[in-house]
Amino acid sequence: MGVAVMGVGMCGAFPTSDGLSYREMIARAAQMAYRDAGIVPAQLDGAVSVEEDFVSGYSIADEYVPDQLGVARKPVYTICGDFLHGFGSAVMQIETGRFELVVVEAYCKASNILHKDELLHFAFDPISERLGVSPHYLAGLELQHFLAGSGFDLDDVAEVARRNREVALDNPLAPYGGRTTLEDILEGRPVAWPLTEPMLARHADACVVVVLGTDEAARRSARKPVYVAGTGWGSASSIVARRDLSTSEGTEVAAGLALAEAGIEDAAADCDVFYVSDLYAHRQLMHMDALGLGDAELPALNPDGGCLGMGDLMEANGGARLYDAVLQLRGEAGAHQIEGAEVALVHGWRGLPTDSAAVAVLERERRTA
Amino acid sequence: MTRVAVIGAGMTRFVRRAEETPGELTSRAVAMALADAGMGIEDIDAVCLGTAPDAFDGIHMNGENLIAGAGGTRKPYLRHFVGGGTGVMSPIHGWMHVASGKFDTCLVVCEEKMSPCVPHPAGAFLTIFDHTTEQPLDLTLIHIFALEMARFMHAYGYTEEEIARVSVTHKRNALDHPAAQIPEDITVADVMASKLLSWPVKRLDISPTSDGAVAIVLASEDVARARGITPVWIEGVGYRLDTAYWCTRDLAFPEYVALAAQDAYRMAGITRPAEEIDVWEPYDPFDYKALHHMNGLLLDRTGRTVHRLLDAGAFERDGSHPMCPSGGALGVGNPIAATGLMKIAELYFQLSGQAGRRQVAKEVHRGLAQAWGDLMQVGTVVIMSSEGSLPTRYSNWSDVTVEDLPGTPLKSVADAPHVEYHPELEYAWDHGYALTTYLEGFRAGKIRASYCAGCDRMMIPARPFCEVCDLRAVDRYFDLPDTGTVQTYTISHVDWASLPLPEGKVNIFAVVAIDGAAEKMGLVHLLGEVDPADVHIGMRVKAVWKPESEREGKVTDLAYFRPLAPEEEAGEVEAVMIKPEELTRATAKATPGRIPLDYAYTAGLGGRRFYTDLAEGRLSGTWCPECEVLMIPPSAFCEECLEVLDPEAQARSVDAGSGVVTAATLVFEDRMGRPLDAPVWVVQVEFPDAVGSLIGRLLGDPEDEALLGLPVELVATKEVGPEHVAFRAVG
Ligand SMILES: [Zn+2]
Ligand SMILES: [Zn+2]
Repeated sequence: MGVAVMGVGMCGAFPTSDGLSYREMIARAAQMAYRDAGIVPAQLDGAVSVEEDFVSGYSIADEYVPDQLGVARKPVYTICGDFLHGFGSAVMQIETGRFELVVVEAYCKASNILHKDELLHFAFDPISERLGVSPHYLAGLELQHFLAGSGFDLDDVAEVARRNREVALDNPLAPYGGRTTLEDILEGRPVAWPLTEPMLARHADACVVVVLGTDEAARRSARKPVYVAGTGWGSASSIVARRDLSTSEGTEVAAGLALAEAGIEDAAADCDVFYVSDLYAHRQLMHMDALGLGDAELPALNPDGGCLGMGDLMEANGGARLYDAVLQLRGEAGAHQIEGAEVALVHGWRGLPTDSAAVAVLERERRTA
Repeated sequence: MTRVAVIGAGMTRFVRRAEETPGELTSRAVAMALADAGMGIEDIDAVCLGTAPDAFDGIHMNGENLIAGAGGTRKPYLRHFVGGGTGVMSPIHGWMHVASGKFDTCLVVCEEKMSPCVPHPAGAFLTIFDHTTEQPLDLTLIHIFALEMARFMHAYGYTEEEIARVSVTHKRNALDHPAAQIPEDITVADVMASKLLSWPVKRLDISPTSDGAVAIVLASEDVARARGITPVWIEGVGYRLDTAYWCTRDLAFPEYVALAAQDAYRMAGITRPAEEIDVWEPYDPFDYKALHHMNGLLLDRTGRTVHRLLDAGAFERDGSHPMCPSGGALGVGNPIAATGLMKIAELYFQLSGQAGRRQVAKEVHRGLAQAWGDLMQVGTVVIMSSEGSLPTRYSNWSDVTVEDLPGTPLKSVADAPHVEYHPELEYAWDHGYALTTYLEGFRAGKIRASYCAGCDRMMIPARPFCEVCDLRAVDRYFDLPDTGTVQTYTISHVDWASLPLPEGKVNIFAVVAIDGAAEKMGLVHLLGEVDPADVHIGMRVKAVWKPESEREGKVTDLAYFRPLAPEEEAGEVEAVMIKPEELTRATAKATPGRIPLDYAYTAGLGGRRFYTDLAEGRLSGTWCPECEVLMIPPSAFCEECLEVLDPEAQARSVDAGSGVVTAATLVFEDRMGRPLDAPVWVVQVEFPDAVGSLIGRLLGDPEDEALLGLPVELVATKEVGPEHVAFRAVG
């Protein structure tokens, strides 16, 4: 059974969003997505939210999901992960044949969390990983392993940050576009040397909502559907002390599943636009390697500016990438449109201290019946 | 659609406080489930994990921390939750994995370690309530249960004694369950005499807080049959989540459970559930909850069937409608998510004839398990069936005893190496448009609503969209009278952390339906100026506002509701349309949020070995005989093969002076992101012949920043915790 993206909605990204409660932010993105999909929420068969308790400030955050999506009393559950993890779960749900229309939502009110480094530190294992210093220490260690094990040097890492911020200037939704130089990045304020502040994505507030449906439902009502060719997700061990910090095994597992499902053998050749998590600049390079993209010249990489340009939207990160991928495949991306984009590969990473990732492959038209 | 079977189960003991870490508990349940299914971790295509609030385990993104123990390493791994409904949602999510055709096998794992949250895990429930409109009242879970129980008793005419019979039966059933935490042979009189916590809830009406983990293996029909197992099928699933505006619903009947059950019945082709289901495992975190849920599951709004079945003793193990033969949450214990999956495991045992002394008297072909959670809000339902003949088994659960189950109970966290932590989590929650007007109403001494013409509802709290009218925009705001009617109430003797209130003090919480609002649309608040004995459902009340000078634009500007005398009744009062607040820099405010919790984490079996060694300046690894590797730091399981390991018996010494730095970073900020006075070197250190590494600080001031390859030794310390792990250069 085919599953399609019927509609997308996005509110943000903003450095702060104090005129909107989280409910209002979600309701706005949801209504955009429903209108785009040509449906009203009463038609939905279910919803998946992607959320973490301590980000929302609630214990059992799923409580506060249904109302602003208009799905009270419907089948609803919450996935803890990147937006793309929830997306994968929702696709699977439709593929059981018992659900036709399912909405996926993630939001980020990072500006309402007053100590985000402490929140991240709290995600580290209390017995072996909470060192009482900046949790970005792990990114510093990863960066060293990656540089030692790959052909890349620190200039290559800095170039990722420079380039993604610059292309974000073409994306009207991106709050952190800017022109900068390698020197500005390498000589930036050190956080976990050699990692400097400009190599990290700053936080932003946003909500992303995506309506999924069967191909039939999409053709029936959606303004301009795009099609899901494959999904996958994967995780490396949670035990940092015994994980290979030079690579992303989670991404390898996720990409293996998604590309096989999409029937794609050579992603670099067969996809036209690529979204690869760049929460830390070195992670983009590490993920590309794990996705099998190597160091291929990819002009159509993170055309929206990625996390570095759009901001770290926490659980919503992969959603922002997917939103842009849908615009690209529809030819509606404006100044950052990649001409002739037919197939998009979208990758999301859960962030530290994890190596959990998810991948979705989208296509403009069904390549196979 | 692929048919999905349960082909194995495993579980730890349920205990008040386990020495094992969450990952260690999980690994043990997984190892048992794999053995029961006759599988290795390599046979598992995907893992899905359920755990409820992260505030118990005290680890942000707890699902990520559990990957290794759950067998998720290098696999597709997803964590889902729906609060207390998670345990029965988990096999549903697992069912999706297989029924979609995407995976042939899926390991479903549920874990909850509640004990790290101190002084009492109940404190984690403060933050289930709306951070802006409810948390300032210092409510906790027991309050909302008590409010629902009082409403349920009022609507269906139950006495406290009748409800107590459920607790008695379940705790007695649990005497036969090997994992049970509080099996007891008690009487209704014992329940009635137990400590009153928040009327009508008494100590023995409630399940305990627990640590535990449960795992099951799901497989497609082809895989199940190929392994020669006569499977137990997942025949029907349903799950529904109701609105978070819980004061707008009559709590007496769980619509969300009934809807979830209907979905499951439809899928399973069941039309007469009372006759077609042979064994029932409804969620029973409180005794009345089992009955409340059975009303929903039997789709009986009158409640007469359940009341009659209870009177007739039909819910006993030898009755016509055996309920919670496992012993339920009340007897086996309630590690939230794991409890729901324990119920699924119980159906698997019952339907495959492996329940031993718990096997119900009647012949069973079909069973139903259900869980509930959130703000009286979510119902999850699974129906399972067998094919009538007894399955061929790899292991037999009939004779399992407590000695066969993993899990090490501790009296006190002080009895084991442990790490204390206080998360410095603070928030400021943006009010946005509608809540700004609502909260400014409190400052003005007004209860404000917004009006949806689509459903003709005057809604409290004011909201900018209508959740039942396809998110129709709502722009009309009104001031309502500050009088109303008590829908339900509780007289509480405990605070938000479940600690006793001062002697003689009680808090009376009530759901008050506000005059002029939509029917039963109200808010939760305190009652005052009233003798607790005089409070009753249907009582008329009026708001008492704080003096104007003390109001802050918060729900606590309303001090409490007091009884309204008949002569004070004003008759019909018109709602007054008002101009909503304009959002400006001055009016756009945020409510401060907090997570006022502390944690004490046991170091676990691996951590105990590591920190015991560290005190002597020693290091040992744990040998995995299956993988033939020596792992550091010490580990109670192998994340590669999921073998259960003993970090003491399988310890092998490693030279603590033979470390080599493999990565180093100079950290300039503390855990809050504030600049450190002096930057700190963090190093990753490997040791010869051992797999893995240690991560800690490098002491001293290295002359050269090129630290890779630097020989180091581990520095002895009696302090427990990763902040104290440190290395020193040697030579
Ligand atoms: Zn309405
Ligand atoms: Zn092993």
